[in-house]
Amino acid sequence: MKDIIRAKCLISSDVEALINQQIKKEAHSSAIYLSMASWCNRNGYDFSSEYFFKQAEEERMHQLKFYKYVLDMGGTAISPEITNIKIEYNSFREVFEEALDQEVSVTQSIKNIAARCHKEQDYVTLEFLNWFFKEQREEEYKARRALELFDVIGEEGTGRWQIDKHVGQIKYDSEP
Amino acid sequence: MQEVSLLPTFDFSEVFSTASGAIFQSDSERCWYVDFAGKLARFDYRNLLKLKKAVYQVDIEQKLLSNDKSPDVEILFICASDHCYVLSLLQVIALKELLQGTFVMLELNHIICDRLYRIVA
Ligand SMILES: [Fe+2]
Ligand SMILES: [Fe+2]
Repeated sequence: MKDIIRAKCLISSDVEALINQQIKKEAHSSAIYLSMASWCNRNGYDFSSEYFFKQAEEERMHQLKFYKYVLDMGGTAISPEITNIKIEYNSFREVFEEALDQEVSVTQSIKNIAARCHKEQDYVTLEFLNWFFKEQREEEYKARRALELFDVIGEEGTGRWQIDKHVGQIKYDSEP
Repeated sequence: MQEVSLLPTFDFSEVFSTASGAIFQSDSERCWYVDFAGKLARFDYRNLLKLKKAVYQVDIEQKLLSNDKSPDVEILFICASDHCYVLSLLQVIALKELLQGTFVMLELNHIICDRLYRIVA
């Protein structure tokens, strides 16, 4: 008997479901960053607003990268529904705390996909995921650095103005 | 005397069967035939996955526990396919069992194909 399913699709239905979950996660990240950009802009933090606009675009790009992978492998990519995006934050610092939380949860969830791929010996998807692991290294680094500015500079006086200015300058260049 | 077969040749292999139905695979047509609820229906790869999804999505437990007066029928409509099933809850359970067994057997077949034909020892 022919193995029709394998001929039609390279990834297993479990891996496909996990990647579809990840597509939703990236879309959710993008929406959260967009909301953070709005909050920062409304509260006078122009550089941070710009930073989050850029992050939102990157997350969208990540979403599409996963999306196209599923389709290229013969799977069904699902366009996600995103709801419950918060509009208000209690403080400037809280925005960055949540940004870091978001990145950590994304890294963990990609690790979870990789664990499943190891189990199935899906080396093709593992190789694809490597790009994201590298990306997450940078994403977590930037989010952590931004949050550290609050301790290094301090929020008193013109501290927040200083922090905002420095957020725009965070770069990760340990390795291309 | 030579025997002349007038019947077309079918290359059906039974994938899985239960008391209430069976699923066959046709290698030449690259599709499956589902013999269930009194009809034989042809499903290609996409549609078989859609059927599986539709059946697995029925919340059997909730349907069993609910005591509203709605009739005990489930309509499984497979988008862009010619088939539609109108089933009782018991039939849904039977179809689910049939599909579960089928997908296990297809997975097993995948492993066998790998071991026998794909991996050069
Ligand atoms: Fe991302
Ligand atoms: Fe990110």
